[in-house]
Amino acid sequence: MSPAIEVEHLTRRFGAFTAVNDVSFSVGAGEIFGYLGANGAGKSTTIRMLCGLLKPTGGHARVAGHDVGHEPERVKERIGYMSQRFSLYLDLTVRANLEFFAAAYGAHGRELERRIGEMLERMQLTPVQDEVTGSLPGGMQQRVALASAVLHRPRIVFLDEPTAGVDPVQRRSFWALIRELAAGGTTVFVTTHYMDEAEYCARIGIMVDGRLVALDTPEGLKRTHAPGRVLEVRGPNLAPALDALRGEPGVLDVSRFGAGATVRVDPERLSGEALGRWLRARGVDPLELEESAPTLDDVFLALTAGAQRGED
Amino acid sequence: MHPLVVQYRAVVVKEVRQTVRDKRVLVLLTLVPLIQLFVLGFAVNFDVRHVPTAVVDRDGTVESREYARTLLAGDTLDLKAEAHDEQTAEALVERGEASVALVFPQDFQEDVLRGSGARVQALVDGSDPVRSGVAADAVARHAAQRVDRLIQEDARARGETRPRPAVELVPRVLYNPELTTAVYVVPGIVAMLLLIVTTIIMAMGLARERETGTLEQLQVTPLKPVILMAGKVTPFVLIGLVDVGLALGVGAWVFGVPLRGNPALVALATLLYVLCTLGVGLLIATLSRTQQQAFVGGFLFMLPAVLLSGVLTSVRAMPDWLAWVTYLNPIRYYVEVLRGSLLKSAGLGDLWLQVVLLGVFGTAVMTVAARRFHKTTA
Repeated sequence: MSPAIEVEHLTRRFGAFTAVNDVSFSVGAGEIFGYLGANGAGKSTTIRMLCGLLKPTGGHARVAGHDVGHEPERVKERIGYMSQRFSLYLDLTVRANLEFFAAAYGAHGRELERRIGEMLERMQLTPVQDEVTGSLPGGMQQRVALASAVLHRPRIVFLDEPTAGVDPVQRRSFWALIRELAAGGTTVFVTTHYMDEAEYCARIGIMVDGRLVALDTPEGLKRTHAPGRVLEVRGPNLAPALDALRGEPGVLDVSRFGAGATVRVDPERLSGEALGRWLRARGVDPLELEESAPTLDDVFLALTAGAQRGED
Repeated sequence: MHPLVVQYRAVVVKEVRQTVRDKRVLVLLTLVPLIQLFVLGFAVNFDVRHVPTAVVDRDGTVESREYARTLLAGDTLDLKAEAHDEQTAEALVERGEASVALVFPQDFQEDVLRGSGARVQALVDGSDPVRSGVAADAVARHAAQRVDRLIQEDARARGETRPRPAVELVPRVLYNPELTTAVYVVPGIVAMLLLIVTTIIMAMGLARERETGTLEQLQVTPLKPVILMAGKVTPFVLIGLVDVGLALGVGAWVFGVPLRGNPALVALATLLYVLCTLGVGLLIATLSRTQQQAFVGGFLFMLPAVLLSGVLTSVRAMPDWLAWVTYLNPIRYYVEVLRGSLLKSAGLGDLWLQVVLLGVFGTAVMTVAARRFHKTTA
């Protein structure tokens, strides 16, 4: 089976600014593909090109078997799109919104009624179907937006920061819905800047300044870009000692924040206890010293810091 | 059902639902035009009556009193004050208490009887040209009548049976015999209100979709821009037709505007005209990012469009180069159709050019708007 999304050397320039620079990847059918990056890194521009909203200025992309530059209309029939703004008619009821978007994809009559009924059940929106959408809490609006995006049963659904501004409980249940979609065979392409959410993805691409700098499974990314163990250090007056720590044998990276730092170490050469002894030998006593496995946050920090150093 | 029909119907239903839900828009579309018609119909009044007049009679004779009495007998000029000298009269005009002051010099009667050129002075406040024009005209007409009568009396006194003057002008006003302003103004106001309501609603509606992101959501659906536009325009074309019906009803009932012409011709012209105004609204929306910009854009278009249409001012009074601009204005053609049809019961045979031009303008502006819309969305 051919991949759901195939991107080759995709580029988008706005004047002298290159928003997306020579990006290539492919996403398999039924995969949950995460797209990570800081604001302005080129995530939304990529999604907009893949949805046929924006023409690429270089390279090409095939979505659901059709070229986005040449056959955007074909692509649009086969995909769903949900933006972080939830883009619903807030002055209409939930049902009216679903009716409108279903009809925009050509559904009508009994088929339309049946699909809306099913979708309301699945998204647990049946009790609020006649409420005005704008009066609902954010989490429910988010589910209405997802329902409108998948009502026509697209093969691929693009979610552009779908959980922005939604509380953690709602985010969790939203991800359960996304996994359910993927289990049903729908390909999910999702951008986020919540690293905990990225862990749910089968594979993750990381964008920095318009370039795709890494692409792998969450585990693979951690192995490659944030190897070793992570030591969280907290305490007063640590700054000078931590600065001196850089370059010590076994220290891979030091990222300082507030009254502490994250120190990534090679566990073969430097343990948490050894770091404690090292700090005390320099006259500072860390109040807290915790050892943990690296997270995607560490991967992201390592990659963005690398890019910044590359620029300097 | 064909998918295009499904999509078109969905957009129409959505627009109607949004319009009906928003009570303010509903009021704006129906009640406000009627109220405005009512208010403007009374306010925009070029009829000049009851002009306050001051009289300075320094002669105080039968002749001067008779002259003033007959002049003030009509309802154009009303006696407001009697003054003893010119300074007081001028002060009254300056303070705005009187718009006209008549001054009879001391030897008025004597001069009249002697036939040596009696003089009456009329001071007219020129700050309102329409009003002062009519007032000055009334004074002049009265003087001419008076002279005519004096000549005849004089002839009779000498025993001559002199005929009335050889040339007499007998004006007869056609179509609007009482020269009521409302009859002339109502069609113009109808066109103006339709312009304001439809242009602004259309421009703001689309700008709102852009602002809230729903336009982007529509762009990822297979919904074609043409279908979207057609669906958005349809409800407002119907509302436009209803508005015109209501407004002309009120015009006939309250202001006595005759409804002589063919309703089908009025409906056709309205349809084409609303297409023009909605097209302009769409065009403004494609040029605006926010509702605020659309609103301001709408007004920047409407004010000159109304002023250069012949609704409130006569095209004939404009300098030539400006009058030419009005040929590009659909309001002008629509008002011509309304006035021609309603007041003179002119048919398509007389007004075909206006109807065709409305159609051309409507099609052109819609096409440009659709192209721009397509470009900004694709």
